[in-house]
Amino acid sequence: MELGGNGGFHGYRRLPQNSSAGTKAPEISMELPPQMNQTTNTNSVTDDTECTVREQDRFMPIANVIRIMRKILPPHAKISDDAKETIQECVSEFIGFITSEANDRCQREQRKTITAEDVLWAMSKLGFDDYIEPLTLYLHRYREYDGGERGSLAGEPLVKRAVDPGTYGFMTFPPVPFPMAPHHGFFGAPPMNGFLKDPSNAGPSQAAVAGIDPSPHCKEQV
Amino acid sequence: MRQPGAYSGLLAGGISGKTGPHSLPLARIKKIMKNSNDEVKMISGEAPIVFSKACELFIEELTKRAWMMTLQAKRRTLHREDVASAVMNIDIFDFLVNLVSENSGKSEDPQPVTEA
Repeated sequence: MELGGNGGFHGYRRLPQNSSAGTKAPEISMELPPQMNQTTNTNSVTDDTECTVREQDRFMPIANVIRIMRKILPPHAKISDDAKETIQECVSEFIGFITSEANDRCQREQRKTITAEDVLWAMSKLGFDDYIEPLTLYLHRYREYDGGERGSLAGEPLVKRAVDPGTYGFMTFPPVPFPMAPHHGFFGAPPMNGFLKDPSNAGPSQAAVAGIDPSPHCKEQV
Repeated sequence: MRQPGAYSGLLAGGISGKTGPHSLPLARIKKIMKNSNDEVKMISGEAPIVFSKACELFIEELTKRAWMMTLQAKRRTLHREDVASAVMNIDIFDFLVNLVSENSGKSEDPQPVTEA
């Protein structure tokens, strides 16, 4: 494990004192328990009147970043601390890059709110075409199940949410095609189960998307 | 007793609340979006959700590419320089060029190999 030798205590980072790329405090790279990822670590370590955005607000939580990295890497691979931080910074840069482009589009069209479609459009424009298909599918799933199935938790929380990867062979990323699966409505939704088990709906993403009930605003904009 | 961890996030509320074990925190994404640009005013609820997945894909791709550099160098530890090399090699990662070369002090040597 690539811990900085201080595994176990919650992570925070000293605010940058020199470079904008972040400090290299050695105790950063620890693994937080999953539930902690959502909370912002409010232990402030401000050494002085640092009036800028808190370090932890500028980046994605490093534990999440590391977890995603480890999904990709072979088990024996090690990750240096500076690599983890670099990727963490790159993610924020990515978000900012796409957001700016999406925001420009909104302004041109005199809209105030950046929508999911704007984000998708910006990604396509900036060269991330490969992401569009899985993201569009992800978004459609979210709209269908979060909009429709909101309600009581259906009785089988442990229904396998790992869809048979063969069903969505076109997806290029590792299993758990629906990370939004955390939504409780997902598991008990008969239409969804029916959808997944129905091989005729598997295959090209367009057909799969069409198989859902697309709301008018779900049109794909690329 | 139900095991915590893998599914605890699932039962605690939907997309709008907590995130699942594999998602990135939506509130943080929103903050980063706002901080990136003073002109960003309002963000729909779905935009961070798209980003949460997009960032995952992004991390996966960047990690994969960086690891290829690590292998080329016959190492087993992925270093910052591997990330930097991956960035140099891929056109769509051009926006990261300044970021990765900021502290490394390495001379930038953009490879002619381009990846679409």
